[in-house]
Amino acid sequence: MKVYHDIVVVGSGLAGLRAAIAAAEKNRNLSVAIVSKTYLIRCHSVCAEGGINTVLRETDEFDTHAWDTVKGSDFLADQDAVEFFVREVPTEILRLNSWGCPWSRDDSGKIAQRILGGHSSGRTVFAADRTGFHITHTLYERLLTYPNVDKYEEYFVTNLVVEDDTVKGIAAIELKTGELVFFEAKAVILATGGAGRLYGFTSCSHIVTGDGTALAYRAGVPLKDMEFVQFHPTGLVPAGGVLISEACRGEGGYLLNKNGERFMEKYAPEKMELAPRDIVARAIWTEILEGRGFDSDYGPYVALDLTHLGEDRIKERLPLIREASIKFAGIDPVEEPIPVRPTVHYFMGGIHTNSRSETPIKGLYAAGECACVSIHGANRLGGNALAECLVFGRVAGELAAEYALNAKQGKISAEFRQKEEKRIFDDLLGKSGDESPYQIKKELNETMENYFWIFREGDGMLKGVKKIQELKERYKNVEINDKSRDFNTDLTSAIEIGYMLDLAEVVAIGALKRQESRGAHYRLDYPKRDDENWLKHTLAYYTPEGPKFDYKPVSITKWEPVERKY
Amino acid sequence: MGVSGWFRFKGRSLFSWAFTFQRLTGVVLLIYLLAHLTYLSTLLDTTGATYESMIAITVSRQFLIFDILLILCGVFHGVNGFRIILHEFGIAYGYRKPLLAIFIVIAVVVWLYASYIMYSLTGG
Amino acid sequence: MVEFKIRRYDGEKSYWQSFEVPAKRGMTVLEALYYIKENYDSSLAFRASCRMGICGSCAMKINDKPRLACETQVLTLGNTVKVEPLDNFKVIKDLITEFDGFFEKLKAVKPHLIRKDDNYAEPKELLQTPEELNEYYVFTLCIKCGACYSVCPAAATLDEYLGPAAMTAAYRFCADSRDEGQKERYEIASSPNGVWRCHLAMECSEVCPKNVEPAKAVQLLRRKTAFSMLKSLLGW
Repeated sequence: MKVYHDIVVVGSGLAGLRAAIAAAEKNRNLSVAIVSKTYLIRCHSVCAEGGINTVLRETDEFDTHAWDTVKGSDFLADQDAVEFFVREVPTEILRLNSWGCPWSRDDSGKIAQRILGGHSSGRTVFAADRTGFHITHTLYERLLTYPNVDKYEEYFVTNLVVEDDTVKGIAAIELKTGELVFFEAKAVILATGGAGRLYGFTSCSHIVTGDGTALAYRAGVPLKDMEFVQFHPTGLVPAGGVLISEACRGEGGYLLNKNGERFMEKYAPEKMELAPRDIVARAIWTEILEGRGFDSDYGPYVALDLTHLGEDRIKERLPLIREASIKFAGIDPVEEPIPVRPTVHYFMGGIHTNSRSETPIKGLYAAGECACVSIHGANRLGGNALAECLVFGRVAGELAAEYALNAKQGKISAEFRQKEEKRIFDDLLGKSGDESPYQIKKELNETMENYFWIFREGDGMLKGVKKIQELKERYKNVEINDKSRDFNTDLTSAIEIGYMLDLAEVVAIGALKRQESRGAHYRLDYPKRDDENWLKHTLAYYTPEGPKFDYKPVSITKWEPVERKY
Repeated sequence: MGVSGWFRFKGRSLFSWAFTFQRLTGVVLLIYLLAHLTYLSTLLDTTGATYESMIAITVSRQFLIFDILLILCGVFHGVNGFRIILHEFGIAYGYRKPLLAIFIVIAVVVWLYASYIMYSLTGG
Repeated sequence: MVEFKIRRYDGEKSYWQSFEVPAKRGMTVLEALYYIKENYDSSLAFRASCRMGICGSCAMKINDKPRLACETQVLTLGNTVKVEPLDNFKVIKDLITEFDGFFEKLKAVKPHLIRKDDNYAEPKELLQTPEELNEYYVFTLCIKCGACYSVCPAAATLDEYLGPAAMTAAYRFCADSRDEGQKERYEIASSPNGVWRCHLAMECSEVCPKNVEPAKAVQLLRRKTAFSMLKSLLGW
């Protein structure tokens, strides 16, 4: 089946929704499709808790926000992009306000702001501790008012069609029927999120498998800075890394090792548990590596002890954390400490775009976590991710609309359609083999966690790269047991694992090549930042034999790199 | 789904039981009312003797079980209906759980008392 | 070992299938389903995403009660766990049900802020006090998981009934101090498929995993709708 739209947005998270609204608003005659492998509000954006950074009041300045962001990025962020970005956020916040977002308020009724780690002043707007959830729902509800937007929910994207450096459309499986649908479009916006599921222990949803990133990569778009993976220090251990928010430590929770010591006094004697995320994450991992962590069926952990706060204080100040820990792990923090260890949280890298969301392919845009503009550089600041989705989602939508108004309709040839049908249904679903995709995924997760975790080092990473390449070979031999067509989640899981293998290879080789420590990328064999050789972006290009690497200078406008100290 | 949807209470709370019972008793009362009115309207005997003989049958030991069930239907439907009317427009919503318990107790007490009177009337 | 009895459906016939899952403390029903999919039968189909109780994908009937699989601990359920798709929704495959209609109903109540001065290009800051926010905040917490709809007796007998989730969304916007679209929504709410179909079984509030209390929202919407109708009848 074939459908036609002027613009196709892939992904229904914050960036995708914002892009669709922007495109539909730009010109009501444009037909916009939003394609998602889940129902629109089932995206991962709803999981975001903290808030959005923005300069909203006169007491704050754009330059301070930009400086905090650049410093947080360990100077790998493109400063022209950052300067553009910080100026665009406030309008987005007010727009959301007039579309119904239930922002938390101060007593006078204005939008309230609070402070998050790494910022020099309180500039984070929030909607209780469910900011991502509320913004996503607000955008979804706003999207419903545009008659020129068609929703394609539960369509799993299998291919991005690019010819002559111009985007032609996408191919997707309609899950309900199992039919392959081809979307012909003038412009395509990718907003498919990160790839946290490369790792087994992650705060990311099950659906965060980097689909769009892998598709763009295979279609010839370079991936930028993929080796930078952010860890959140406290992921709930029995629940596979569900986030336990910083609020616990803010309220006075202790991190304890097996010997009952508050080990943070060794790593950050002043700030203790409230040191920046990467420092706390490294401290916890050091304790575990040196044998001072606890052991469990779910792997090693340290204890996040709240018991000394008392039942009343926990119930009053941390009700959601208590609820989460009881529901997801069966542990009541009033009675016993919460088992935690660092969890994979965010991919700083992604599809290479310029500071206006444009990829090198004509008509192809990328926004949100799947893209790398880059404003996060080597380490993202808490509260900047949602803001990025809104700003660059909007930019992508508007530019795609402008482009689509003057572009020719993309055509997907019959030959391509037959080839794609054959690739999915004959070569993957129909064939027999002796590998289980789930076994490959399990081994991939283990490899990533063993060699590309918080601490990385050359020899280990070399082993990891070999293992990933072996898994890629084995993947050619997978068999999908469920041979039916309708709602075949066995098939889609297998395709996702294929995407993840490609991305893992880029992360792995990129990390091995970057011989320095910067932001979230920390190497034991190169523990220092090396601005002379490595103040540059990694670009990975697809070739059938594996990624080919190139580098690109960082754009510096105002701030020369200095040592990053807090 | 159809009306079978009214009668699913596996795993449901007392609220669903109350709802289902309200529907059931409502249907019983409706049938009773129709039968009652039909019977009355077809009476041709102006002396009232036929009516008296009918009453005599219903107020008898053999008939007691039906009387008690009919009273249950009437009492439950009335008392529970009053509870629902009370909650209409979201009033006293926060007290819905204790109110449900209280109203069920009231219904049972009234039913038992009425059953006892009926029992006495039938010569106990 | 815990026995999982799963209600399966392959598009033609439905049947029960049992699996033994090694359960340990901390394991959720969702994790058990993944365990089954990855180790015993990969054709098992279910929806899941965030596994932290916020995306609304994994509502299903677990031991006869609709719950989110991701926040239900296996060990609290005994030695046998029965898993079925939600009632009142058409089953597509195994535990996956048709939600298109559910979201259409949501759309039908205009769940978005309606303002005459809507200005996309230059929005201004609309004020709202914390008290005004609290008027409706609890009703914004709905994750659209469908649990309420699956136990609603009114929805069971009338497919077109808007249902608790959609009407909660309608009330949430009607009660928002920034909104100016109440009239339009009252008209929708007083339609034959709207608030007057609610029979106050109140089971929706009992099963809501987020404690949104849809039964209350429907009744409050009913009150607002009734007053608005009364006013227009009396010509006020």
